[in-house]
Amino acid sequence: MKPRRYHGSHAVLRLIARFERPFSSWFESQNNPVHHLGALTIYLFWIILVSGIYLFIFYDTSLSGAWLSMERITHEQWYAGGIMRSLHRYASDAAVITMLLHMSREFLRGRYRGVRWYSWFTGVPLLWLVFIFGITGYWMVWDELAQYVAVSTARLLDWLPIFADPMVRNFLTNETVNERFFTLMAFIHLVGLPLGLVLGVWFHVLRVRLPRIHPPRNLMAGCLVALLVLSLAAPATSHPRADLGVVPLELSIDWFYLAIYPVLDRSSEGAMWAGLWGLSIFLCALPWLPPLRHPPAAVVNLPDCTGCEFCAEDCPYGAIEMVPRTDERNFALEARVDPALCVSCGICTGSCPSSSPFRKQEPLRSGIELPYFTMEDLRRRLEEATRRITGSGPRIVLVGCDYSVRVAEIEQPDLATLSLPCAGMMPPAAIDYLLRVGGADGVVVTGCDTGDCHFRYGDRWTVDRVARDRMPKLRSRVPRERLLLSWHKPVDVGGLKALVASFRRRLEGLPQDSREQRR
Amino acid sequence: MSLSRPVRFAGQVVAWALFAAFTGVFAQWPVYSPLEEGYGELKLSMAHLTERLEPCVQLTAEEIMELPPNMRVAEQCPRARARAVVQLLVDDEPLLDASVRPVGLARGGRAYLQRHWGLPAGDYSLELRIRDTPRDEGFDKVQHFRLSLAAGESVLLNVGDGDAQLIPGRRPAATPQENSG
Repeated sequence: MKPRRYHGSHAVLRLIARFERPFSSWFESQNNPVHHLGALTIYLFWIILVSGIYLFIFYDTSLSGAWLSMERITHEQWYAGGIMRSLHRYASDAAVITMLLHMSREFLRGRYRGVRWYSWFTGVPLLWLVFIFGITGYWMVWDELAQYVAVSTARLLDWLPIFADPMVRNFLTNETVNERFFTLMAFIHLVGLPLGLVLGVWFHVLRVRLPRIHPPRNLMAGCLVALLVLSLAAPATSHPRADLGVVPLELSIDWFYLAIYPVLDRSSEGAMWAGLWGLSIFLCALPWLPPLRHPPAAVVNLPDCTGCEFCAEDCPYGAIEMVPRTDERNFALEARVDPALCVSCGICTGSCPSSSPFRKQEPLRSGIELPYFTMEDLRRRLEEATRRITGSGPRIVLVGCDYSVRVAEIEQPDLATLSLPCAGMMPPAAIDYLLRVGGADGVVVTGCDTGDCHFRYGDRWTVDRVARDRMPKLRSRVPRERLLLSWHKPVDVGGLKALVASFRRRLEGLPQDSREQRR
Repeated sequence: MSLSRPVRFAGQVVAWALFAAFTGVFAQWPVYSPLEEGYGELKLSMAHLTERLEPCVQLTAEEIMELPPNMRVAEQCPRARARAVVQLLVDDEPLLDASVRPVGLARGGRAYLQRHWGLPAGDYSLELRIRDTPRDEGFDKVQHFRLSLAAGESVLLNVGDGDAQLIPGRRPAATPQENSG
């Protein structure tokens, strides 16, 4: 049975990959920054936090002292406070870039629908929090930009039926600005929003098992160096001190955070709220526009489940729970799948020790498998693949995934291909089976680029199983020289072809008796 | 495709440089001006207590005695107040014509109105008309002001419970340093 694509268009995946592939070449796939956009955003907030704490030590939270204290921090200790201030600003801007790229990437790859709705949905309030965070930060400098932001924000908030006495009356003249109100804003920026953000991020990754919240070290270093160089090259400075008797005429606006204000100047408060709320509601509803036809969740076959817990350990979405046994078999636990969390990737099939094509069972079943792509289907398709090989060279079976290179496009007489929902679905025993029983001289398992598996951990678990670092391990009798693991962006057809050609030459060089012995 | 170490390093430098440049540029550019060149701002802020729709009523001694002991007052005033009708004319041209409802569930609070306009720098005559009693025509208060607006200046027309005041802003001749304290 042909597996149904979970979601996402391969054409869009290829388009994104075309843009991202150079980064995999420059940084190496596992360190490609676009594979770590969420983690980079969190890392940037660490920079913001540390630099913010430093600034707070020297910052005067009073209305009269705020601007002067920022001037002292910026100019009198430019080598420390000045750099910290610039880092604080630029890391905040960079966080908006990585956050929006992260969001766009997940959207374009279709990873916001179905089971993944929760992470998308909880990301929308985070957008609000981040932008409010930035806006209140600019407010605290109390320069002309802060004045513009404060007055515009007050006008925007006054449109809502919240305050009986309009907020903008706080900003009529220099005398009407309320010291206490200013302190409240500082409190919100320094305490309230950071706590809210931590809570928001926690909710955001709550349903993600083993979330990657730290980027690789070289990305952290590169990002920090880039922002430090920027801070030295273009230090962040203040505008003249706020003066409500004038209208600021030249504002160096931070377009990442403050772009709504020029839009507000050219529209109206009502239109702005309609736009902001409309966009937020649209984003929240996006996972259900239209509702996803969810592929059937993995099912547990109790007679074949030994309660080993490997599937629960490997499921990237925490969809499998081990519960007390409900049948008569002498095992303590059994796996139970939560269909609301299962993305139908098949990684659990790859992790199940009973997923072995060597078994004589008819029909062949695994302890846990996809209803639309059972172990029986997998064994049949592996056998069909080996039967298709007619060439005279080494007989190679190439097992790919639906989200990387379309392996069917490179099928040749001596190269049979098969695509799985995820490379992590390939049980190690099936590799052994292809080489011992299936008549293959070599097996290639390929999938999404390293660290960028569409189902998060398919590549990693496969590598670990083959290296015998993770259960179920590939048996030691399997000749490793006849196995190639290779991870690619969907557009990297040439790269995969070249590796397969090199692999074929390697197989040709292997001693003949070794082949016969194996068979 | 495997690149040599120097090429990979150069690629990383280029990627981070582009990222930093993009961040740095749009963190402060292009410069934005909320007002056109040569314009100043006129702000109107009104927080005005209008007259009650119904007058207060003096209670008789009997009526007072009928009230609970802790709520005995000499007069009772209906809370609802009249809408404030505000007109502002600049050089005899209408700039504002608004009818403002007092705040509060019983409409017993002040009538608030906040507006701002950009005007070319220059001299203007302002006429402020307010109707704050429960009548349908005419105005209860009419005030005239001379406005001399400089480019970049923000002038406040403050309408409180009593007479309105025109509060000038800072003239552009003053430099920011003078004001920086």
